Amino acid sequence: MAESSGTDPTVDSNVVENAAKDRTMIVVTVKTPKDKEEIAILEDSSVAQFKEEISKRFNAKLDQLVLIFAGKILKDGDTLNQHGIKDGLTVHLVIKTAPKATSGSTSQNSASSSGTPQANSSSSASSPVPNASTPPGTGPAIQPPNLLSGFGDLSSLSGMGMGSANFMELQQQMQRQLMSNPEMLSQIMDNPLVQNMMSNPDLMRQMIVTNPQMQQLMERNPEISHMLNNPELMRQTMELARNPAMMQEMMRNQDRALSNLESIPGGYNALRRMYTDIQEPMFSAAREQFGNNPFSALGGNLDSGVQPSRTENREPLPNPWGPPGTAPSESRGTGSSTTTSSNGGTAPSVSSLPNPLGINASGLGNGVFSSPGMQSLMQQISENPQLMQNMLSAPYMRSMMQSLAQNPDLASQMQNPEALSVMTNPRAMQALMQIQQGLQTLQTEAPGLMPSLAPGGIPGIPSTTGGSVAPEGPPPPTQGSNPSADVSPSQQQQQLMQQMLQMFAGGVTTTQAVTPEVRFQQQLDQLSAMGFLNREANLQALIATGGDINAAIERLLGSQPS
Amino acid sequence: MEKNETTIYSVQLYIYDLSRGMARNLSPIMLGKSVSKAVHTAIVVYGDEFFFGGVGISSCSPGGTMLGSPDTVVELGNTEVTEEIFMDYLSSLGESTYRGDKYRLFEHNCNTFTNEVAQFLTGRKIPSYITDLPSEVLSTPFGQILRPILDSIHIAPPGGNVINGRPS
Repeated sequence: MAESSGTDPTVDSNVVENAAKDRTMIVVTVKTPKDKEEIAILEDSSVAQFKEEISKRFNAKLDQLVLIFAGKILKDGDTLNQHGIKDGLTVHLVIKTAPKATSGSTSQNSASSSGTPQANSSSSASSPVPNASTPPGTGPAIQPPNLLSGFGDLSSLSGMGMGSANFMELQQQMQRQLMSNPEMLSQIMDNPLVQNMMSNPDLMRQMIVTNPQMQQLMERNPEISHMLNNPELMRQTMELARNPAMMQEMMRNQDRALSNLESIPGGYNALRRMYTDIQEPMFSAAREQFGNNPFSALGGNLDSGVQPSRTENREPLPNPWGPPGTAPSESRGTGSSTTTSSNGGTAPSVSSLPNPLGINASGLGNGVFSSPGMQSLMQQISENPQLMQNMLSAPYMRSMMQSLAQNPDLASQMQNPEALSVMTNPRAMQALMQIQQGLQTLQTEAPGLMPSLAPGGIPGIPSTTGGSVAPEGPPPPTQGSNPSADVSPSQQQQQLMQQMLQMFAGGVTTTQAVTPEVRFQQQLDQLSAMGFLNREANLQALIATGGDINAAIERLLGSQPS
Repeated sequence: MEKNETTIYSVQLYIYDLSRGMARNLSPIMLGKSVSKAVHTAIVVYGDEFFFGGVGISSCSPGGTMLGSPDTVVELGNTEVTEEIFMDYLSSLGESTYRGDKYRLFEHNCNTFTNEVAQFLTGRKIPSYITDLPSEVLSTPFGQILRPILDSIHIAPPGGNVINGRPS
């Protein structure tokens, strides 16, 4: 092995000699974990020579280099030929971080190539090292405590409870876990995969469509295919499905909104029926798809992850109003029946309910807002501002908006950004609820006051302290209580209040103040600058006069509120 | 040969066939053809299992991920590469081409890693049907649609420890 001895600086001369002796250069790719290089070398070079080249190219020390080819470690004493390294082949290189680590392999090198006085001072230098370290044979056995102590921890295996070997079993386990832990579903939904899938309407549609049960369903109910073909709807639903919390809220809202909409004569009964026809089969289809693991066992939290559309798991929705005289209505699903039935009585109950606003809702459509369902909806909204936006953007709400469009006042008020901000302000919503309750109480207790609860007087009610109409503090002092203290907040609240009330009233009252307070902000400021410090009175006056400052001043001076 | 003094470690390829789960059910729907082999692979050597996932290169006891025992074990051969060299190698890989964020479901996934490591250790590649899988999926229109979605999937079977940087 002549060439094996030429690893000192004489390598180059050797190479030259070899080249002269009609040997061929081959190009070998040397691949490290990080990159690769092509190195030209004589085909019968030794590994050591090869390493020299490599160390130059990679800027690494010789003893750091470990060459691997075909699973074999190339020892310095070997030749490339020996290992079958030919032109165009790839040799793997590992650049060790610590020369000490070469103990395991280079010890063999030193043992085998000890006979060769190479400039592998590295190997000779490292030869004492392997003696100190573990003998190569037991290397891996002893090394593990060091290297693998951080790895291969078995404990996590059973931690998941998924120690099953069978993936099918695994899936069932997952489902079981899913059932018992609704959180998991939300986690799944948070999984970017699922979310990404959900965000592609075509994908979801295709998935749904190709489900055989869905196909059956679609044959039975052409509305389903229509729904599925509506990209807007799909996107909507998918956004819902993506966000489990939103989904949950949305479902509740839908239930309530739909139940309210029942009260609108005619139309939404049909809608409801339709959805009943659709929802139930879809639900059962979803159930079947998931191996008859009914999501009803989910504890009412979330719906199926993969079937985003109409599968709803309903639990009884609380109805805070518990209205009397419930007209039996079709159940739209499992749990919503209570709400449905309770709200089915909206029609008769509107009249029987003391109209909390003192204003006769001219139409049932307008009375929607005063229905118990709506109020419970409002209550929920107050707890979750997001809800309102979701609600407003929901497809079902579109239909509702259409009904609103019939009443332009209402619609405009609904769309009023002020009003929206009210709705999204939980405290405001709560306050409104309280006001409503208070007014209702008021109505029962002092029916004589009702006539006086004219539109103009309504704003006066919340602003109690001004004492215009001041019944016994119907609104717990959320807003009206400190009008003088914080002028602007109460001002805003009043504005919002009024708008809300007007909306509640079904907009029958007037178009008095689409944005009374906002509109009158300037006037109010002027009035206060003039010395009319009673903001509520100012506001009332302004509203009554439609923003005319002078007239308002006259009113104020004339009425002399305290 | 120096083989007498060299310790040989056998290298195995663990193949986990995920198709019993979803691929078999979903692939006809989604892809229009049956892709019955959706596999996750790992290399088992030195008594440990190594695989690449969304968190980077991980290791665990063989069969120790939540996938359980492998469906197929392929003997890739033997290697002389010692464990420490291998660990060095893995660390380098884990810092460069096999960082967690480099995971791509189609182009640079667990099978890519396994293939490379197999070549490193034994000079042999893993069975081609595994490495051909992404292109098979991508060749369908649905696969094309799915592609941006799936690109963001990181499959990281729990139950392993991540190899990052230097061992020990």
